[in-house]
Amino acid sequence: MNRREALVATALGACTVATAGCDRVVGALARASGHGLPRTLRAPSAAHKSAARHLLDRAAFGPWPGDVEHVERVGIARWIDEQLAPSHIDDDACAMRTAAIDVGWVPADLLFELRPEDIERQLVTDTLLRAVYSRRQLQEVLVGFWLDHFNVAIGKSLCSHLEATYVRDVIRPNALGSFRSLLGAVTTSGAMLVYLDGRDNRRSSRREVPVPSPAEGPNENHARELLELHTLGVRSGYDQHDVMEAARCLSGWVVDERWAPGRARFVPERHDDGAKTVLGATLPPGHGARDVDLLLDVLVRRPECATHVARALCRHFVSDDPPESVVRSASASFVRTGGHIGQTVRTILTSPELARAVDQKVKRPFRFVVSALRALAAETHARLDVGDALARMGHAPFRWPTPDGYPDHAGAWLGTLPARWAFALALVEGRIDGTSVEPPALVRALATTDADDTTATLFAHLIGRRPRADELDPVVAYVETTRRRDRALALMLASPAFQRH
Amino acid sequence: MPAQTIVVVFLRGGADGLALVPPMDDPTLRRLRPTLASRRPIPLGPTLCPSGETGSCPAELGLHPELAPLVPAFRAGELAIVHAVGSDDATRSHFDAQERMERAGVRAGSEPSGWLARHLRTRVGPEPSTLSSVAIGTSVPDSLASAPAVAVLESVDDLVASATTRDPALRRALAALHGDAHDPIHEAGRDAMAAIDRLARTRPTRRSRAYGVLPFGRALAEVARLVRADVGLEAATIDLGGWDTHLAQSTALDTPARTLAEGLAAFRADLGDAMEHVVVVVMTELGRRAYENAALGTDHGRASVMLLLGGGVRGGRVVTRWPGLDPASLEPPGDLRVTIDYRDVLAELVGVRLGSTRVGEVFPGWAPGALGLFGST
Repeated sequence: MNRREALVATALGACTVATAGCDRVVGALARASGHGLPRTLRAPSAAHKSAARHLLDRAAFGPWPGDVEHVERVGIARWIDEQLAPSHIDDDACAMRTAAIDVGWVPADLLFELRPEDIERQLVTDTLLRAVYSRRQLQEVLVGFWLDHFNVAIGKSLCSHLEATYVRDVIRPNALGSFRSLLGAVTTSGAMLVYLDGRDNRRSSRREVPVPSPAEGPNENHARELLELHTLGVRSGYDQHDVMEAARCLSGWVVDERWAPGRARFVPERHDDGAKTVLGATLPPGHGARDVDLLLDVLVRRPECATHVARALCRHFVSDDPPESVVRSASASFVRTGGHIGQTVRTILTSPELARAVDQKVKRPFRFVVSALRALAAETHARLDVGDALARMGHAPFRWPTPDGYPDHAGAWLGTLPARWAFALALVEGRIDGTSVEPPALVRALATTDADDTTATLFAHLIGRRPRADELDPVVAYVETTRRRDRALALMLASPAFQRH
Repeated sequence: MPAQTIVVVFLRGGADGLALVPPMDDPTLRRLRPTLASRRPIPLGPTLCPSGETGSCPAELGLHPELAPLVPAFRAGELAIVHAVGSDDATRSHFDAQERMERAGVRAGSEPSGWLARHLRTRVGPEPSTLSSVAIGTSVPDSLASAPAVAVLESVDDLVASATTRDPALRRALAALHGDAHDPIHEAGRDAMAAIDRLARTRPTRRSRAYGVLPFGRALAEVARLVRADVGLEAATIDLGGWDTHLAQSTALDTPARTLAEGLAAFRADLGDAMEHVVVVVMTELGRRAYENAALGTDHGRASVMLLLGGGVRGGRVVTRWPGLDPASLEPPGDLRVTIDYRDVLAELVGVRLGSTRVGEVFPGWAPGALGLFGST
């Protein structure tokens, strides 16, 4: 039995004794195993965010107390190296928190024994726990990125079950590796085949087609989004003919609903096995199931694919409208490394454009919630309440209905401020079930001397720099008139400065 | 005089105009859609050409049976249908076509803006106020991008109930934090607080049961409440999804079609005479292929329909330059051709119905043609 198994066994043993206290036991164990609040913390004193803090605001969901010091200790380059090899990062403390979640380990076919609503709740909890507590932060950031890029809405048909294996077995293991491998896994995943109707895309048996068309009318949905969203980007040179030919390549895949539920399977009789021409490349007839691979190879080799993926990554990590120069260097890195995601991300994270883009992104609600929980070293079981808060902000994981994924630009999220204020208040007032924060412990660790300084220090801790007078004064005035330090903390979380990253 | 309100209902996903308002007894449609064209549509009578035009041959079009709740409005002359309408965006991409349509030709760039936003900035009258434009949901649609102020809400009561209204000191601090900076977050925060203050003064009203329990009905009920409260609402946006019927369309379309029709019928009944000051525009980013696919659904096509409901609409008519469905008339690979640009409809709404004198700035680079959709019947 290794350390992790021992810890998990202890935790689960304790849970059988007192189910109600299970979360507290696991939380305490996780903290004891080295993931708690450091004894001392240094609040930022400069007027601008440090490079380490900026990196953690992009490559992670904001710092857990002590993370900035850690990055500064090991150095930015080495921290990125560590994050790009997530399996080498000891993540036992987080694993302990997620150990009891069925969707994390139940075999694919047994997942069908669970109710869809339970699967969704568990998935949201699992996603939140990892985002808040995992030390493999970059991996989780990229899992979120790919879940938007290759969006599968949980509400559609079998996706209510397939989303679990999609996140666990398709997206997470491939999030930092080869883009081609990720794309291949996604394209023939049960989840995507259901979501984009690929399982209903078959060679037409109709002899007579009323309108002259190169294909006999297979289902184009998957093929169109594969070209438009997953690989090349709209208006990048492909046309309606290419979509129809790609649809022929993708025909014949079904999703089993009986013997191995959710498993994707190729049925040769449903496949259009003739020759195809996609983007000028000829795919010879008779390749059957391999047509998918041939098609994906054609797509991934296109320079438009490198640019499309690079631009999406730059929009996520750098700014809503990233400078062309960083898109070009990321795209070059993608091409040079044969489409290696981690190396492309490294290029972006170490780029001068990223360094200059401090606070240019507006946090999406998920990041707002997670970064608040992390900054305060919150203890949460991340069940119902937190997910509900995200739903009220229009950012419930897995719920975006259309294949383009949640928007990754500020404009889409500016209407969510009142819901963020409400969340901040609920959090500091302890009204979120199973979630608690202990500001006094944080204040002690930050070792502020006098009371006046507490507000400024805590604010600086939250936003990664010394607050300006116009930011600090309203909060100080509020504390002076009301003595409500808890709500003052909510004000800091509600402040415009905390909405940026 | 109460504000005139535009309510834009955007059918996201590409609603099938050929199923919602199909030609009656068309043998070509039956051949193109052997499994889909089964239920008999509700006859609407012969179509009309756009005003002053002659020559394009009229067609007999009908209404999808699930749209039956809209028939009374049509017969009362309050609902007009425009067919074979669409945009010049031939990508057949949901996202590209939606963005293009909502920005009405102005591409995303340094100052991206939507057509509703440009209308609110250029129309005559007092400065737009806090509740001039409201997006029902959690985000601002492209049509309202760069609007003077947009309130985003799913429910007036929920927004008002947020704790910030119960602690005046907190409310003051929050206002100070959002200062007067010309910054999107500061501005959004100020807009939200102003909207909450204004809404807190409106009286909650009992919601008509006819709206049902679905989000679309609830959204319309919120808009009706804002119209009745006379808060100066000029533009409201509501999304309705579920139209991307690549699969088993004959059943997949029933629910969104019924939801749309029941919602609009409840809205009309709820507002009663106040409907005179409201125009509902129903639009979608693309239509669907004329022939069905192997999954008994339809793939992305070109032209679809738009609906106009409310005061000043010359209703009870279907206006179209019907392009027909025979192979030579379809746009390859088999799509209903766009013969009316959506901007002609919107420009007439803005120019004729709302009396804007700066239609050219709302739809830059577009010379609208007259369709005769508004005015006295």
